[in-house]
Amino acid sequence: MKNSNLLAYFFLAPALIFMGVFVFWPVGFNTYLAFHTYEIAGGATEWNNFENFKYIWEEPLFHSAVKNSLLFLIVVPVIQLASLLIAKLVNNKLVGMTFFRAVYYIPVITAISIAGVVWSFVFNYAGMLNAILSSVGHFLHLMPETKMVEIDWLGDPKYAMYSIMVFTFWKGIGYYMVLYLAGLQAIPAEVEEAAILDGATVWDRFWKITVPMVKPTILLCTMLSTIGALKVFQEVVVLTGGKADTYTALFYVYDQAFKQYNFGVSAAAGLVVTFFCMLLAMAQFRFFGEKQ
Amino acid sequence: MFKSKTLTRALVMGSQYASLILFALFTTFPLLWALSFGLSTDGSTAYFFPQGFIPHIADGEGNYNIGATFSWFERVFVEIPFSTYFKNSMIMSTASVLGTVLISVLAAYPLSRMRFFGRNFIFIAIIATMMLPSEASLVPNYITVTTLGRWANSLQAMLGSDAETWRRFVGINSYFAAIAPSLAGAFGIFLMKQAFEAVPQDLIDAARVDGATEMQILWRIMLPVTTPSIAALSIFTLVNAWNDFLWPSIIMRSKEMQPLAVGVFNDLTGPLSGSQNTLMAAIVLTVIPVLIFFSFTQRYFISGMDGAVK
Repeated sequence: MKNSNLLAYFFLAPALIFMGVFVFWPVGFNTYLAFHTYEIAGGATEWNNFENFKYIWEEPLFHSAVKNSLLFLIVVPVIQLASLLIAKLVNNKLVGMTFFRAVYYIPVITAISIAGVVWSFVFNYAGMLNAILSSVGHFLHLMPETKMVEIDWLGDPKYAMYSIMVFTFWKGIGYYMVLYLAGLQAIPAEVEEAAILDGATVWDRFWKITVPMVKPTILLCTMLSTIGALKVFQEVVVLTGGKADTYTALFYVYDQAFKQYNFGVSAAAGLVVTFFCMLLAMAQFRFFGEKQ
Repeated sequence: MFKSKTLTRALVMGSQYASLILFALFTTFPLLWALSFGLSTDGSTAYFFPQGFIPHIADGEGNYNIGATFSWFERVFVEIPFSTYFKNSMIMSTASVLGTVLISVLAAYPLSRMRFFGRNFIFIAIIATMMLPSEASLVPNYITVTTLGRWANSLQAMLGSDAETWRRFVGINSYFAAIAPSLAGAFGIFLMKQAFEAVPQDLIDAARVDGATEMQILWRIMLPVTTPSIAALSIFTLVNAWNDFLWPSIIMRSKEMQPLAVGVFNDLTGPLSGSQNTLMAAIVLTVIPVLIFFSFTQRYFISGMDGAVK
């Protein structure tokens, strides 16, 4: 065990080099860029006295982007509660449960770009969602047979953000279901059996046994999905491309860099997002540390 | 009494299956719709519910009957360079898996089984990267990659060639640049570290007594007993690399280098996109390889994850 320093670093070298270049260096360089003007052509940089931050501070587009990112947080409790319920459902020992678990996981393993294309057809004003809603409407006699629901789910600023949330919900629920399933399987069966003998209702058992016992998993998943919600933007890229007031904070970062070629402004906005993500992560990390 | 109990049981079970099936419909309907759309002669029934979910073929006189045709699936290979994209996806995913497993195994071994200066610091630094939004690194990484390409060309010029072709290996439009940022990740290193820590110390001590070097211990003892973890890591990496969209879409500017997730997306949403039936057929063809792979390995997804949680 002596003198293994050299050997240890030899083993660690590939990981440290790749992380150094592609993970740690970007953080430093991004901070540097945020305070400079960057020339795309030559790569020259010039200190610009917080110009980038002033710019995003005053830019209405960035304001609405931040607002949308915060609005997106409402998907967190919905997806958590739903995936916990689904996990509870597939935790039953019934025939064909492996099949259902696998089917619920399919959206997670579908490429976001490909899933996005299908969903943009589903959300189209003549798309499948409106067709299904119309059929339901006709069936329940809520609207005349000749009328169809015609909502442009992704084009109308009133609905666009919520439609993206539906997509996120569809894409992410399987992932959290698996995490909750692991938590649920750690609960000893006797606990629930004892509660049934004592005459506890399904409702009571869910809130008084399941929820407290998977609390660590709930915290973990909530943290993951909160950060995920704040970081949402690939969904925007594939579904709306930022149209219909759907800019989110990171979409703004992406758009400024690769569409407007304002690398400095993009870096400044990116730094703001990084700062808040880390703040949130640290807060939740502390919270975790105390709980366990 | 007995009878009502059986009845309640049946009711509970029935409602459970009903909710399971309803939710399964929710998660699969977009892909089922795409499949039925792609198998139909044209889009005239596709936008109705529930007809849209059953493939229809035209009889030439304006009537549509239930049936299926594969002609759109054949068109996919004519209209978009599907096999080129497929090849690129294969190369990138395979390289990602090999690179990630190699880097993670090498890094996890000293972190779990050796004592050296700065061990805790390095481990915490690696875990801390999980908190960083990798999306904010897009710009710096883009600049890094272009710089690497410039350096490669300079190196080539220094060695006496004016061809300026070395950039192709590390710069924009290179496989290396498309996969490099995700090769070394906290997830892989952490997963392998957990696996190595579970190996009994006696096994390693015995090997040391027999005079094995660290490299031999890693290769002959650690790897064979941690095969399940390596398999799980490979499978996760493969699916993630196959589905990776954003970074490759920034790096792979030229069409011949794009993977499926990027190329098919650009072709389908671009101004020159063909008929909607071809589009849906292309989507189905893109998803099928992943689904086949998933059907064989799904237990790793469902059970491999709890290792990562603990």
